[in-house]
Amino acid sequence: MNAPAHASLDDKERVFDRIIPDKFRPIIDRNACLNCKRCVKECSFGALEWKDDRVVYKGGCVACQRCSAMCPARCIEIATVPSGLPPHASYTERVRQGINAQASSGGVLLCSCGTDMPYGMIFDDLILDAAQVTNPSIDPLREQVETRTYVGRRSSRVMLSGDGYVTESDGSGPVVAMDMPIMFGHISLGAVSYNCQRSLFQAAKDLNILAGSGEGGLHADFLQFADHINGEVASGRFGVTPEYLRRTAAVEIKVGQGAKPGHGGHLPGEKVSDLISQTRMIPLGTDALSPYPHHDIYSIEDLQQLIAALKESVEYRVPVGVKIAAVHNVAAIASGVVRAGADFITIDGFRGGTGSTPRVIRDHAGLPIEVATAVVDKRLNEEGLRNRVTVCAGGSIRSAADMIKVIALGADVAMVCTSALIAMGCQVCQSCHRGLCAWGIATQRPELTSRLDPEIGARRVTRLFHAWNEELKEVMGAMGIDAVESLVGNRDRLRYFGPNQKIAEVMGVKHVGEGWG
Amino acid sequence: MRSQEQGRGGGRNDLPSLPSYGAARPPGLEYIMGGCGIAGTIDVSGGKMSGEVISRMLTTMRERENGLGSGYSAYGLFPEDLKDLYCLQFFFDDENAMCCVEEYLKDRGDIVKDERVPTRKVPSMRPPYPIVWRYFFQPDPLSSSYLIKGQGPDECVVDVVMGINNGIPNAMCVSSGKDMAVFKGNGYSYEVAEFYELGRYSAQMWLSHSRFPTNTPGWWAGAHPISLLDWSVCHNGEITSYGVNKKLVEMHGYKCSLLTDTEVVTYLWDLLVRRHNLPPQVAAFALAPRYHDEIERMDPKSRALAEQLRITYKEAFLNGPFSILVGRGQPDITMIAMADRKKLRPLLFGRSADNKRLFAASEECAVRIVEEDAETWVGDPGSPMIASVGKGLIRNGTEAPFKGVL
Repeated sequence: MNAPAHASLDDKERVFDRIIPDKFRPIIDRNACLNCKRCVKECSFGALEWKDDRVVYKGGCVACQRCSAMCPARCIEIATVPSGLPPHASYTERVRQGINAQASSGGVLLCSCGTDMPYGMIFDDLILDAAQVTNPSIDPLREQVETRTYVGRRSSRVMLSGDGYVTESDGSGPVVAMDMPIMFGHISLGAVSYNCQRSLFQAAKDLNILAGSGEGGLHADFLQFADHINGEVASGRFGVTPEYLRRTAAVEIKVGQGAKPGHGGHLPGEKVSDLISQTRMIPLGTDALSPYPHHDIYSIEDLQQLIAALKESVEYRVPVGVKIAAVHNVAAIASGVVRAGADFITIDGFRGGTGSTPRVIRDHAGLPIEVATAVVDKRLNEEGLRNRVTVCAGGSIRSAADMIKVIALGADVAMVCTSALIAMGCQVCQSCHRGLCAWGIATQRPELTSRLDPEIGARRVTRLFHAWNEELKEVMGAMGIDAVESLVGNRDRLRYFGPNQKIAEVMGVKHVGEGWG
Repeated sequence: MRSQEQGRGGGRNDLPSLPSYGAARPPGLEYIMGGCGIAGTIDVSGGKMSGEVISRMLTTMRERENGLGSGYSAYGLFPEDLKDLYCLQFFFDDENAMCCVEEYLKDRGDIVKDERVPTRKVPSMRPPYPIVWRYFFQPDPLSSSYLIKGQGPDECVVDVVMGINNGIPNAMCVSSGKDMAVFKGNGYSYEVAEFYELGRYSAQMWLSHSRFPTNTPGWWAGAHPISLLDWSVCHNGEITSYGVNKKLVEMHGYKCSLLTDTEVVTYLWDLLVRRHNLPPQVAAFALAPRYHDEIERMDPKSRALAEQLRITYKEAFLNGPFSILVGRGQPDITMIAMADRKKLRPLLFGRSADNKRLFAASEECAVRIVEEDAETWVGDPGSPMIASVGKGLIRNGTEAPFKGVL
């Protein structure tokens, strides 16, 4: 790329930057303010300063809510600034801000978290079922409702020897048992802080589920959680050591990610601290770039070789999976991935989160996870492969209801990231890529990372997913289902109540009001 | 008068009529749910029982039906010269469908004999009545018309049944096993027994079913037992995992066409026992597995098998309330009776004083009416009672899951 145009900005030109107004503004109740300067200290984005014996707003508020939450006098409120721009339905404020930002910078607009575009949430258009009379509902407080879930490759049949021993059969593989059908997605050390990742790993251990390592390898301190870690192998191969492969409970090749399908990873050099440098095995302060493709994978056969190599590396003791972004041809891709030998496949929907991605990709590329899960499940079923592989699906699983719906659409496991971060304090301000996270989550600055207590973070995440699991039991009980395996892909338990019947047809879900017949 | 008396449990005569269908599938209907009555009996000494016995057992459970479907399956009823041939019994709505089926069969084997199944018009039964016809068929595995040429005769017959039921309008194959047949229809249990004149048959094992659905029309081919090869299944309950189970059987090439969740139960038994060669009690465990915490307390060998079954056959797990009677004709005539793992549907077992006859039914009255002094008991949730001609009572339904296998 040529030298960025913004390098030549002069003062005269910078005046145009001022036409990009702030979207948020802290409103300080001066009568209640204690002038303790706590808010100035808490604002990692430098939006507040102490001037003329009072706190003043400098600009640049991202609505992270840190100042408001930490203010001892509770005298700060974050207000949304009404747009002063003349209204226009096509050239919305967002569009004009983007144009101005690019006219100033000449670069690709970066953004974090899942897309905030107002696409309809298909999850919200799906209604769950409940049992009545002939099919009695089950009270999970009185009766067992099981949520144990296995991740791994299954044989399509059990073979017994003459004396009743289970004999090895073609295609069976190692499996990981989890107490609930939830796994944490890959959030790498680097994208998030040490304390954040520690919280996630501790929560995964407490919940007996898997947590993704992210592509940054595994810090030595976290080997204690290895039984609950799904180790990622991304194109950059950061931190992928024999021990990493030997110790983790599962290994997953990252081909794609929902928030940025077709993209690799990029951790800016300023985030590569000593800790990250050691874990990723890269020089201090250098950019950590995972190429868009794996440079040894240009076909499904190449992927098959990497899967085989990893299975050899782990001596066939742990399942090896592949994560792909949900794209338009996801069903065929998933079929190829399964045929290439993946023990589990993870599909990441286009609303998935990220620490940093070009906004144009995040907002405009990919496929909703609801549709992707349904079409993959259908395709694998048609090809007789569905009962051989575990399907994990994520990318905007916001609640137990979403988790239940994605399971009913065909996922064995719901993959969750952003909700876990929100449980730790994330306000979804979409500024992770700046490395200034005021909650100590998406940052490597010691003064900020110390704000997140890993014990508290783990407890909050544990409580959240324990609650979701209880809600899953409640809903399954209401449906008259007492084990989660009978919910996986059971679209009979869903009805579509949205505006576009075609979506329901693609997903194989009946319309609301349609009974069994 | 009798119909009013019998109809107390769900007054067909007091309610507006629902549409009635023969072999043609009701439009838009995908599967039927409901509560039902089931009854079965087997003479393990090889003796034969009149069809009147099973009819009395079933019809006494009056509250468990409303006239929208009932049926019987009989095992060990044909003479020596026919019992080794596949008996394909059909419903046809018209002669054209019958011709198509005959052409279809001739392309795939020999029709050794065919005959109209004797029936009698029952005034209280609502038309239409399908033509009921049976063919004694010998498949030719080398016929190029099969999906896979050269497969075993059982697979050929499965191919034939799936092909006809999904491809020939107004024709439904309702049973296809050796030395067995299914007699079913759209009516009360006593009407169906009368329609087929069950008293004319004697068989070593009888299974039966009467239906109390909530919201769907009845149709002849959709009545239980649902049968494939020598399997027949009578089912009381509602399978909440139907969508999942359906996917599994479809992955193995079965085509669901009978619009009832019982169909997948039948195919699952065929898949697990005939194709995957699992002993019946192991297959039963896959269909109604023990809880994980129970499995953890098992001895290591049982635990290994139990865990593997839960993992491998998770799509075979029949969730929701059910009690089922399963009949099998080969290699021995066998009755399997089991309820779901929470026992949300009733099921009772019985044995005659001379140990020759065994019973399974929704209610004790069904046993007492034919064997007043029978010993009765109930099995454990999810645990099958298995009885077989020549072998007697193999499991009484209260043993450890894999007893006899491990």
